[in-house]
Amino acid sequence: MGREVAESCVDGVVMEMVAAYCGRFYAAKPELAARRIEAIGFQVGHQLTERYTMERPRFNDHLEAIKFICKDFWSELFKKQIDNLKTNHRGTFVLQDNHFRWLTRVSIDPSIESMDANENDSTSLGDSAAQTTSMLLYFPCGIIRGALTNLGIACSVTADMSNLPACELHHPFCDIYLAYNSMWLCNAVTPSIFK
Amino acid sequence: MVVCVAVVGHQNNPLYLQSFTEADDSLKLHHVVHCSLDVIDERVNNPKRNSPALNETFLGLLYPTENYKVYGYLTNTKVKFIMVTTDLDVKDADARNFFRKFHAAYVDAVSNPFHVPGKKIASRSFSARVSTIVKSFSSGTTA
Repeated sequence: MGREVAESCVDGVVMEMVAAYCGRFYAAKPELAARRIEAIGFQVGHQLTERYTMERPRFNDHLEAIKFICKDFWSELFKKQIDNLKTNHRGTFVLQDNHFRWLTRVSIDPSIESMDANENDSTSLGDSAAQTTSMLLYFPCGIIRGALTNLGIACSVTADMSNLPACELHHPFCDIYLAYNSMWLCNAVTPSIFK
Repeated sequence: MVVCVAVVGHQNNPLYLQSFTEADDSLKLHHVVHCSLDVIDERVNNPKRNSPALNETFLGLLYPTENYKVYGYLTNTKVKFIMVTTDLDVKDADARNFFRKFHAAYVDAVSNPFHVPGKKIASRSFSARVSTIVKSFSSGTTA
């Protein structure tokens, strides 16, 4: 058994990485920051698949590899399995996680919200919240893309947050907890073998 | 005794090649390893009907040349491990054990953040671990 690290360290590293890339390194170019973060995730996913596929027999086809991602890989990373897997049988898979672990502690600074105090708060709140949270999702997207590429499936991965916010506490002294429902869309570029 | 071990990437690019003989026949060993890649591809793409497990990582004896026996192992990420040995009787369990430990060492070497995927493995600790595994294999079979 190797050495262990507290899970909050992962939260801390991801938050700091997003803050550093978006705030300091590529402050004016969020797309570039997103791509760098995704590239980091790609390498991590690549290396993690080597480790997590070590004891397993080989996969026969793409579906088995995707199922591995949904079950074993997801439980190693996020301590739970994917809640729902959908496919259009033409190379697109939708992985739905109803309680994405890395987003459960995301909050928005309430001092920013108090500045625009009108009834349309919830929509502008939704936009800025969505933007911040979407930056946090690039790293897991990269991890999944790296994992799938290492298993031989060229793909692109996008994340989509719906049900935002699922639980809203609007209390002046409380942070506002957001979206913990996110969907992962994997588009396999190689031709699907499910005819 | 094990003469050579090799790690070949999924595009058949060499990632690591280490020979354990004193003689300077590394070129011949490269050639043997290269030929065995074809055997692996053939074994994976055309599985025989009566092969017990199509998806096993351990491929077993690939082909015997006049002096050597070549064993192969294919991971889920299409990385191939090849072991060339001059031992005449290698037990299946020993070979599997060897590859299991080798796989563990490989995973640790690849998890190094300074390792570039696709480039050769330059880690000295990996070489040291491989030497230890080879020594224990040789001593296990001759004992």
